[in-house]
Amino acid sequence: MAGKQVGGLRSKITHRVVLLFALIGLIVVIGIFEPVFFKPSVLFDVTALMGEIGLMALAQTYIITTGGIDLSVGYNLQLCAIVFGMTLFQTHLIFLAVVLALVVGLLGGLLNGLIISRTRIPPLVTTLATMYLFRGISMIVAGTHTYSGFPENFKKVSNVTLFGFFPIQFIYLLVIFVVLNVLFNRGSLGRVLKGIGFNENAVIFSGTNSKRYLLWIYALSGLISGLAAIIYLGRLSSATTSMGDGLNLQVVTAVVLGGTSVFGGVGSVSGTFIATMIIGVLRKGFTLLNLSGNFFNFTLGVILIASLIVLAVVDKRKARRGVPPLAAKSSAET
Amino acid sequence: MQTRRVLTKELMLGVIVALFIIFLSLTTRFFSISGLFSLMLDVSPTIVGTIAMTLIIFTGNIDISAGTIMGFVAYASADLARAGVPMIVFVPAGLLVGVVLAGLNGYITVQFKVPSIVVTLAMNMVHIGFFATFLPNSGWIEGVPTSFTWFGNGRLFGLVPYVFLVTVAVTALFMFIMKYSRFGKGLYAVGGSQQAAALAGISPDRTVFRVFLFEGLLLGVAALLKAMATTNDVLPSTFQGREMILIAGAVVGGVGIFGGTGKIIGAVYGAILVYLLSVTMIYLGFQDYYQFALQGIIILLAVYLTVVDLKKVRRRLRHIFAHTGAKGR
Repeated sequence: MAGKQVGGLRSKITHRVVLLFALIGLIVVIGIFEPVFFKPSVLFDVTALMGEIGLMALAQTYIITTGGIDLSVGYNLQLCAIVFGMTLFQTHLIFLAVVLALVVGLLGGLLNGLIISRTRIPPLVTTLATMYLFRGISMIVAGTHTYSGFPENFKKVSNVTLFGFFPIQFIYLLVIFVVLNVLFNRGSLGRVLKGIGFNENAVIFSGTNSKRYLLWIYALSGLISGLAAIIYLGRLSSATTSMGDGLNLQVVTAVVLGGTSVFGGVGSVSGTFIATMIIGVLRKGFTLLNLSGNFFNFTLGVILIASLIVLAVVDKRKARRGVPPLAAKSSAET
Repeated sequence: MQTRRVLTKELMLGVIVALFIIFLSLTTRFFSISGLFSLMLDVSPTIVGTIAMTLIIFTGNIDISAGTIMGFVAYASADLARAGVPMIVFVPAGLLVGVVLAGLNGYITVQFKVPSIVVTLAMNMVHIGFFATFLPNSGWIEGVPTSFTWFGNGRLFGLVPYVFLVTVAVTALFMFIMKYSRFGKGLYAVGGSQQAAALAGISPDRTVFRVFLFEGLLLGVAALLKAMATTNDVLPSTFQGREMILIAGAVVGGVGIFGGTGKIIGAVYGAILVYLLSVTMIYLGFQDYYQFALQGIIILLAVYLTVVDLKKVRRRLRHIFAHTGAKGR
């Protein structure tokens, strides 16, 4: 048992180190093509770009660690944004709009969590279905409206920079990162989540109510989608019925690239954080190099598949060295 | 178990017929026989596509990129047809595109032991990105020749669409394959338990890879049936998101999302039912986007029903065989 843990720890550290080098390498490469990238205001703009994706990816890390997945985050964000825009334009109360957006996000997450923890419907199917549900509802609510032109004092949520280059989104991201990382690595939460991912029955037999944990991590994911919607709107300043398109893929990519296993049982919040930055740098780089958003999505899909393959190959290598592989466990269960 | 299945199917048929009647009485246009046959033309690609998705779900996998694969097939065939290539070439070429793309999904899933949902979700994005970035006009093809459209718009005796005949043939073929072939039994076995299948001498990896190839072929057929029914242009992006309808049809048809259970004919009923629901909604004046919400709810409900069934069955089994509890999830 002790040997396994050492192996696991070592492999995680190397994965994160590799990610860090990849991040630095990417920055340098893009900087060589576009020297303006080295300017702090441009470089740190990456963190502003990735504010909402990063937040959702951090919460998603918890979920994927349990072997689940939440595909509905993107359209949950869209729904929250639409609700926010509608409330703001009907009542002109920013506070009420913020609260309602968060409540809607939380309810969406609770719906996922309830279905997943109370029934045996797999998370994948549940969130795939609710993804379309949220998308449909947001389109029904919005109709043909696009909510834009938010008040200036609301835009301060996202458009403020500290010291002229440090975007305020990075503060949100750091705060949530630190909180979730500490919760994950100290105390029992991380162990329970990994336990659920590795063998839920074992967790149940050890006297832990796994369903309660499942319910609340999906609820957390929903709540953070609401938060992300507000931050996103502060930057974009228009709520449309297409703003959720493809967000879930970026979120899942960040988590998987960060070294969290889609089979569950292995997770790293800090890995997700670094991976988010890699995706952000890539996105900013694509914009600077005048490459289209669709090409970015194409690249992202390729990166996700590549990182899945690399992780699987690394797993196989480890199996040859005698460290118990994750893939073997998964093929035995499915 | 056996009686339960029959009951579900019968129930489903009843609902379909009931909906059909409501549907017919709501609209005067479809009160005719020719209306019925144009309905057949419409629903055919969905049925073939649902059979493709059903085969995948039988093994416990899923394909989120089904819609975009269909888009690629439609694009490739239409582009070739426009270039003046005869039908004997562009149809197999299109099908080959489907087989290769689905085969790629299957290869990655099997070779690297990665869940097919994540692979195909990523592929979905890769495909969409590819369309928008690398293809002229995002793959929109205008002015397809009659060599491409005659089959889709043609009717036997001026009544039964050729497209529907192909669908009936495909359905019959795959019902036969599932019932009598080694391959068909292998799908259920692998979906039920990979280990048990492996012990019984069926390679799970080979079976899953093969089923992806078959899926690609059928998606190709479905895409062509849909694309050829056009009169002028082919827009591959209309296929995006169709995988939801296919998944909905399969699970509504009683195909267990965990794999190993369900029947082709159930999936066909499911496909017709989902199609009728959406058509009825359009006729009732609901906007297009209500269907996103509806499909989500349908999938949740249908899966929930199968899950509840499984629970009861398992509880009963546990009473009889104490050791089956070890089967887990």
